[in-house]
Amino acid sequence: MNGSSEGDVVVPGDVVRLTGVKGKVVLGPGLARTGEGVHATKCGVLRKGGNNIFYVDSRQKKYVPAKGECVLGVVTNARGDMFKVDIGSSDEASVSYLAFENATKKNRPLVNVGDVLFGRLLVASKDMEPELVCVDSHGKKGRLGVLPDGGFLFTCSLNLVRKLLRPECPLLEALGKQLAFELVVGLNGRVWLRTGSVRETLLVADAVLAYQHLQPHQVQHAVDQLIYQLSSS
Amino acid sequence: MPRPLLHSLLSLILNQLTRVLHAVCSVYKQNFLAMNSNSSNGTHSDDKEECSVRPILCELGVITRPDGSAILTQGHTVVMSAVYGPSEVRMQRLQVDRAYVETVFRPKAGVPNTSDRLRETIIRDTCETAMIATLYPRTTISVILQEMEDSGGLLACSINASCLALMDSGVSMKFLFAAVTCGVTEDDLIIVDPDADKLKECKASLTFAFDSINKNVIASYTSGTFPVQTYNNGLEKCRQASDFLFDFYRDIVRKYASTL
Repeated sequence: MNGSSEGDVVVPGDVVRLTGVKGKVVLGPGLARTGEGVHATKCGVLRKGGNNIFYVDSRQKKYVPAKGECVLGVVTNARGDMFKVDIGSSDEASVSYLAFENATKKNRPLVNVGDVLFGRLLVASKDMEPELVCVDSHGKKGRLGVLPDGGFLFTCSLNLVRKLLRPECPLLEALGKQLAFELVVGLNGRVWLRTGSVRETLLVADAVLAYQHLQPHQVQHAVDQLIYQLSSS
Repeated sequence: MPRPLLHSLLSLILNQLTRVLHAVCSVYKQNFLAMNSNSSNGTHSDDKEECSVRPILCELGVITRPDGSAILTQGHTVVMSAVYGPSEVRMQRLQVDRAYVETVFRPKAGVPNTSDRLRETIIRDTCETAMIATLYPRTTISVILQEMEDSGGLLACSINASCLALMDSGVSMKFLFAAVTCGVTEDDLIIVDPDADKLKECKASLTFAFDSINKNVIASYTSGTFPVQTYNNGLEKCRQASDFLFDFYRDIVRKYASTL
């Protein structure tokens, strides 16, 4: 059997050939080791990231937590020592009230039900409840924490999120030249957005969602149209 | 108002309503068929007459709310499918080592009956065989199937639709699966993937599901009486026909991979 290599379309059961790698290889989502070799377990395109990481880029919508990923969640229960946060996975994530910047037993962080939280997954295992933190290992919040009011949270596919987070994202570059907006992208397929007006927010959200089906060379045209729509109103 | 008059009025309204509903459904179906007819119609193997299947059309992600969905037509049999999960599990269904897989089959009209229940079980077992359910302990994965038109081979079409929805949802699977139906005529001839008219003349029908790696049988459902030899012949013919479905799956993935 020949086996698929990087850039190929794979379906579950396909044998995957890991070419051009020396040393350790990391199997990401969509790949599994079975006895003699590596098989795909998802439909999509086989990709290779840095550090010899191989994974299958698929059209998945449901989030499965992974350690170290930054996610957006909505607080569903803010009482007690552990707050509950809905991050779109099968289990709700929990976050300790001490996992915020400057939080102490005396100084509880101000978190209410319905708040949008940007946190990093500290614990993510299939057998355990996921746990979030809103500080880094130095106790600084960085960009994590409760997001301010006036934002708009919407969901999209996990693949689109990865597309937005690529170092060179033509959409965000093109939009940023024309509009002022704040965008937070969680790897769980949620995007938080804040602009100056409701109209702008909706248009930018539409543009982000449309980006799923755009080729890189179509992006500039789409953004120009959006700006035209904004200015003509 | 007198009672009989009220009754007749009510039944008249009901009649009108069902007529409108049917019209809407058929318009949707026609649109869907028309939309897809130029893409992959009639690409099936005509040269091997005995193992050719009816034209197949499919679209993924047709419904927005589920985590994966698909609509599949095989000939004039149409099934819509959706997958939710892995999501939260009810306490009594909880399994600590694997996902609980549930299937719901909804007939075109009315409430599900026992034959639909049987179909659900077959589909559930087939899906569970293909999935790597141990990757998602303490969760549930729901496969919902809606019959939209039955023109023969409904079980096979449902199994294939559930596979496509699972592919769309990104649930980890060991392999893909495809089901093919064949009919056995009075003189023990085998018709692969018969439509409703041909099926009426058959004394038995056999449905097989195969895995995509070794083309092993993972489910078999038969009705009617037939000799063992015919069963084996039918199995082989269905196995050959399943190749076409697996190629079709790959084409679909390739088509949708262009947006990745």
